[in-house]
Amino acid sequence: MADVAERRAIARLTHRFGFGPRPGEFSNLLNLGFTKAAENLLTSPLTDSFADKQQPPAVSDQGPRPRANSAQIVPYATEKRAQLTELLFWWLDRMVLSEHPLRERMTWFWHGHWATSYQKVDDALPMFRQNQTLRKHALGNFGEMSKAMVNDGALIYWLDGQSNTVKAPNENLSRELMELFVLGVNRYTESDVRETAKALTGYKVNKTSGDVTFNPKQHYTMPVSFLGTTGVYDGNSLSDFLVARPDCALFITERLWYRFISSSEPLADRSLTNAFATRDIAKLIKAVGTSAAMQDEKYAMVKSPVDWFVSVCKALQITPSQFPNTALIRNNLNLLGQVPFFPPNVGGWPADQAWLSTSSAQYRIDFAERLVKVGNLSPIADVRATARMDALANWLGVVEWSDRTKMALRGAQKDPARMTLLAICSPEYIVSA
Amino acid sequence: MDTITRRQFLKATGAGAIGAAATSLTFEDIANAAITRPLPLGTPILVVVTLYGGNDGLNTVVPVTDSIYQSMRPGIAYNQSEVLPLGEELYLNGSMTGMHELWGKKQVAIVRGVGYPNSDRSHFSSMAIWQSAILGAAKTGWLGRWVETQPEDPMLAIGLGSVLPPLLAGEKRSGSVLPLGGLKVPIGSLASDCMKLSIASRSDNLLQSMAARSMRNLFTVSSDITPVLKAPAPAAPDLPTAVGGNAGGDNNLTQQLDIVAKLVAAGAPTRVWSVSLGGFDTHADEKGAQSILLGVVSQSISKFMSQMRATNRAKDVVVLVYSEFGRRVKGNASEGTDHGTSGPVFVIGEKVKGGFYGEQPSLRQLKNDDLAVTSDFRDIYATLLEKILGTQADRVLGNWQGRLPLFN
Repeated sequence: MADVAERRAIARLTHRFGFGPRPGEFSNLLNLGFTKAAENLLTSPLTDSFADKQQPPAVSDQGPRPRANSAQIVPYATEKRAQLTELLFWWLDRMVLSEHPLRERMTWFWHGHWATSYQKVDDALPMFRQNQTLRKHALGNFGEMSKAMVNDGALIYWLDGQSNTVKAPNENLSRELMELFVLGVNRYTESDVRETAKALTGYKVNKTSGDVTFNPKQHYTMPVSFLGTTGVYDGNSLSDFLVARPDCALFITERLWYRFISSSEPLADRSLTNAFATRDIAKLIKAVGTSAAMQDEKYAMVKSPVDWFVSVCKALQITPSQFPNTALIRNNLNLLGQVPFFPPNVGGWPADQAWLSTSSAQYRIDFAERLVKVGNLSPIADVRATARMDALANWLGVVEWSDRTKMALRGAQKDPARMTLLAICSPEYIVSA
Repeated sequence: MDTITRRQFLKATGAGAIGAAATSLTFEDIANAAITRPLPLGTPILVVVTLYGGNDGLNTVVPVTDSIYQSMRPGIAYNQSEVLPLGEELYLNGSMTGMHELWGKKQVAIVRGVGYPNSDRSHFSSMAIWQSAILGAAKTGWLGRWVETQPEDPMLAIGLGSVLPPLLAGEKRSGSVLPLGGLKVPIGSLASDCMKLSIASRSDNLLQSMAARSMRNLFTVSSDITPVLKAPAPAAPDLPTAVGGNAGGDNNLTQQLDIVAKLVAAGAPTRVWSVSLGGFDTHADEKGAQSILLGVVSQSISKFMSQMRATNRAKDVVVLVYSEFGRRVKGNASEGTDHGTSGPVFVIGEKVKGGFYGEQPSLRQLKNDDLAVTSDFRDIYATLLEKILGTQADRVLGNWQGRLPLFN
């Protein structure tokens, strides 16, 4: 039987890298031990029994918005809402049901990294295409991902790239490319922002399809000087140049650290960047997930609302799209402050303490009540009352209950639904210890 | 950034319920509400309004008559008939009529050219600097640190919304968050079970103890606040109709300030309120968009001040309005502006000694095409801490010497 330290490391593996365990999975991982569990959770096989068969979401190019008050506007708006719902639940289902969780977990990470919001993009198809791009490269080569993203319609539109022209460059995309996507803040100068904006001129986006075309006439064709180089650049060569810089390895390692190890303590092990020498994302995530930090008690993290929701669905065997009232799910994620495809800004979602307000405490309880009603509670309902506390910890992948939570759970142990509700709202579940 | 504006983000997180719940209580009900520790009249209250995205200061406090302003901003510059005179050859954005009226009453201080050394043009870094008042990595907000100098009280500092604003984050204790829909607390046995979960445990790590505390505060804050939220917002009887504050066009900042007004009127023991509006990142098509947003800021603050006059708290309340940076002097091709440096900060209230503070950055002496920083934002914070919150500034800002004579 695993000791507390190993139990913690394995709980971190499943919650942080895999959206939490399915019923029975945590006990299996404990039997395997950390090394094999890590092997299992930190690699992504080529096939997936759920994801390979899932039908793509019904999203399509709706064309431009009809005029206000025209006959077409109502069906257009209805269809638009339906497409967004379809896309959202397609992804939530995929997070919950994928046989191997790592690819979706990484796609979710990259969505927060290249954070693009439907709020401005306002069409489902470009958002879906971006999502597929992130998924395709989620565990691939970061250089390929970055190149794909500087050519991504939703991202370019989101950051005003389509109005960045040779006559007066718009710096929004060039700044965020260096600050938030590839190098990290202050690893470039303001002059570099202005110069690289010129390299990103000439891209045009078809807003409703997300198609991107390159118009050489609007592209700055003179040499630009930045970060010690001078030459003629376009989006692709700029991306290659930035990705090759050592700061890129440091930055991406820092970001993985921030989302998988600690959002409050800075990167403690710079040698992790070595695993990113060839910009191989799969290799880096494996290095992060097997690093010594995984064993260090001080690196606790709060589950974001989506991480929490998906892990509850996995444990309680809830399929988001089959939920009796899907609007309730979207509404509750909204109240908790995190809906996929709607990051609050290009910096992505906040972390840790931001999710621990009085307000989230309330909405979490409210949401948990609804989820417990439709969930499959047999992992504790089927065992005798006095054995439920331990069964609950193993079912949900909790390291250990505090005396406080034990007292609360004991009071409810005859009522599996109440007991489950308290467990998923407990500090021990909200926080990945 | 921030094209899903802070406003829309907040809107999506529970607005709307306020109007619907508005009429069920009488004034007597409010008087009897569960505010057991009313704030004594005369206790100063700080309301912080954060404008997310980087508000264009040059089109807020506008040097209309400066030929360089006109020549550098084709398509974005205002002309003199569109703006409101402030004096010293500066003009207020034409949409800010309510603010302009308060300026006329000498209740608005405009601090010019506010920023900090080595301006950071990243939204996130710069907002982190403004909210933490620390140049460099920081985990706490300036008002969160202030909360930690005070006796523990979850009602002391409240942010409106669903996520804790960084300025209210403390190391061990933070401000509370109040969703626009109000807090709905569990009842019956669920409540007693959840209260058990909210007890601190010795085995908690820091984040777990914060999780338990947030649930504990849910019960404290909500029993104090919920009855008040059901009450109608205080009237704004002396609001000129021209301001249009009562003329519909509701918006989220107005809703946030309405809640603040209700709770201040009811005597909530809260010294600091945090509200926000997003959408100021105007890289494209700036003029119309910014003018609408500034209209919202002006209108909602002028309505709020009017509500305060009706509740005897007008002399107590001070409103601070800031954004993470100003924008570039020169417009870009998309009729917008890119990230810049300094900008004006507004401090509003009857206590305030109205007028200009700090030098207007000269358009003739740009640094790398950007405005110079002529005032440091920590001068304003230090002054607010001492004059409004009654706390020595060095307990929050370290050894910071600068102050401004903002108050009578």
